[in-house]
Amino acid sequence: MKRLASGAAVVLLAVALGGCRGSDTETGESGVKTDVGVTAEPCPEAVNKDKGCIYLGIISDLTEGPFRALAVPITDAQKAFWKRVNSNGGIGDYEVDVTKYVRDNKYNPQVTNQVYQEIKPNILALAQTLGSPTTAAILPDMKASNVVGSPAAWTSAYAFEDVIIESGANYCIESMNALDYANEVYKPKKVMAVHLAGDYGDDAAAGAKLASEKLGFEFADVKTDTGTDKQAGAVGAILQQQPDVVILTTGPADAAAVIGGAAARGFKGRFIGTSPTWNPALLQSPAGPALTALYEQSGPWGSWGTDSPGHKAMRDALPGKTPSDGYTSGWVWSYPVKAALEKAVANGDLTRAGVVAAVKQLSSVDYEGMLPAGAGNFAGGPGGTFKQTQISKVDATAPTGVTKVRDMFEGPTAKAFTLDKPCFEQL
Amino acid sequence: MSSFVEGFLRGIGVGSVYALLALGFVIIYKATRVISFAQPALMLAGVVLVSHLAVPLGFWGALPVAALLTALLGLGIERGAVRPMIGRPAFVVAIITLGVDVAIRVVVNIFIGLDVRNVHDPWGLGTLVIGDVHIEHRHIAAFLCAAVLVAGLFAFFRFTRMGLAMRAAADDQEAALAQGVSVGAVFALSWALAGALAAVGGTFAAAGGSFDGTLWLTALVALPVIILGGLDSLPGAVVGGLAVGVAQELVATYQNHTPWLGGNVSVITPYVLMLLVLLVRPYGLFGTREVERV
Repeated sequence: MKRLASGAAVVLLAVALGGCRGSDTETGESGVKTDVGVTAEPCPEAVNKDKGCIYLGIISDLTEGPFRALAVPITDAQKAFWKRVNSNGGIGDYEVDVTKYVRDNKYNPQVTNQVYQEIKPNILALAQTLGSPTTAAILPDMKASNVVGSPAAWTSAYAFEDVIIESGANYCIESMNALDYANEVYKPKKVMAVHLAGDYGDDAAAGAKLASEKLGFEFADVKTDTGTDKQAGAVGAILQQQPDVVILTTGPADAAAVIGGAAARGFKGRFIGTSPTWNPALLQSPAGPALTALYEQSGPWGSWGTDSPGHKAMRDALPGKTPSDGYTSGWVWSYPVKAALEKAVANGDLTRAGVVAAVKQLSSVDYEGMLPAGAGNFAGGPGGTFKQTQISKVDATAPTGVTKVRDMFEGPTAKAFTLDKPCFEQL
Repeated sequence: MSSFVEGFLRGIGVGSVYALLALGFVIIYKATRVISFAQPALMLAGVVLVSHLAVPLGFWGALPVAALLTALLGLGIERGAVRPMIGRPAFVVAIITLGVDVAIRVVVNIFIGLDVRNVHDPWGLGTLVIGDVHIEHRHIAAFLCAAVLVAGLFAFFRFTRMGLAMRAAADDQEAALAQGVSVGAVFALSWALAGALAAVGGTFAAAGGSFDGTLWLTALVALPVIILGGLDSLPGAVVGGLAVGVAQELVATYQNHTPWLGGNVSVITPYVLMLLVLLVRPYGLFGTREVERV
């Protein structure tokens, strides 16, 4: 028995020491401190073999989840983004690899945690963690392990997390801006939020509710579910209550079922959907005419065809790709990661803790014009939340089926709003 | 009143789709005593085939071809994954079908691509208006198509030799085998029929809108339908499908008056209805009561 106990103790000690192995700090030739996910050896697809490698993980919805149509181009754009960074000299004495630790989360929180634990010992940070519920599943561990991540999601809760480096206005602010725009253009009296449950839909609906209270609109909150066969309740609510404007936060097929179903039964009000509600192929669906007539899109940045140096660099880096704003998002989300790594290298501390410290020092990020100056103020905490939104309309001739009708703007409601807790808690 | 009639008729249309999907489950269960969890994947495969074939063949050309190809896929699953498991517990085979479902959906998702797709159906969002009542063309078409297919199936089981063989095998496999019925052929035909029905049902589920990889979730509603109707009853699948469709759409019509029930409560209606029926009739509305000696 005694022998068994001492054997177990030895095994436990070995496991504990093994666990610590990843966090040993080293100092490279250039004097930059490193620990996990950074090697002196070159990246597998190195441009310059003399440089070391920073490994970033990607956890995305790549095969069978509901956001695969966006996740695949997001991931491709991020690979292209970092290839461009490496071709332009990398980050200090390092290049960046985002190809070795790419994992599929199937948009499932349990799977996300499983694959995160699998790649965690080998990565410095996450170039992408897709989805709000999935990211929530690994967030406590990310905080405990100082793993910085760029989320492919826009929930307002991220403003309160040091390890999350989000880009663009969150869903809550976006809905406020959408209603400020609607107030100006359509003069609504009744507003309805039709949304999925969870902090994607709830966050947008909370923004619509807070804006409605401020602007004096009658507000109705209608929850729906994923699946075109599950939209009858939402369509029924729209037809019964006849709102002037509907703020929509669903997937694209669901959005078409709601808009097409309501329009087919005579509804003439307006719909403003967040960017994940749109897919250009909807124009070929039976709901195409209804979408063209009634739908506009609120978005956190300009779409694929926008004229900015960043957009142009993205298009040049992705030749032959069918335009999709999944690419645009993946590209934009990479800039703050790049800025954080550059800052960490400049500070001489490329450890995980060093990257977290570098994020807190970023008062702005250069998005090469894809977002205006002032975006990416992580030093400002929740007070530094970026609050601008673009509104687009359906345009069959545009590369992604939408063109802007209102350039990036911060509406009066969002401007006056203080983000002191996640919006979805106020729904 | 018009919203009640609209909800009811919409429910008949949606319920017809559920009935077609449920019939596939029941046909396989009757023949093999296995609940096939591969039906959602067969449905998705059929719909994706229609969406691709409709461009060169048109919708009416694509639908039968896709149904035939999905039937062949069903046949392939039976030959490749199910037949080697004959003699094993039904539970093991059911779990294998679960794995087959995931594998097929991953492959089918590649053919869906990154954009939403549509089946190019001729109905779109067109409606027939009678007085104040709007009835969508696709729901009328789903009901008519289901009626024709169900009538054809019942005639097949009643009047053909193979139909008789399938009924015999469903009643008692060993006795049927002793009488010269090819039970293997019965198994194969069951899977093929279930595949074809899944393709047609799925196509009507996708008609009038767009679909993506999440469409497979629709087929899961067939599970409460078959439990409600009776696992081994073809009429039960039809009545159960229509009942679930009507209940779901009527709840969707009126759920806004009961916000205290939570959001979109119509989604759980099939399961609530199933539980209520099982409380009164544990073997479903038309299921065979099993007698066990203890």
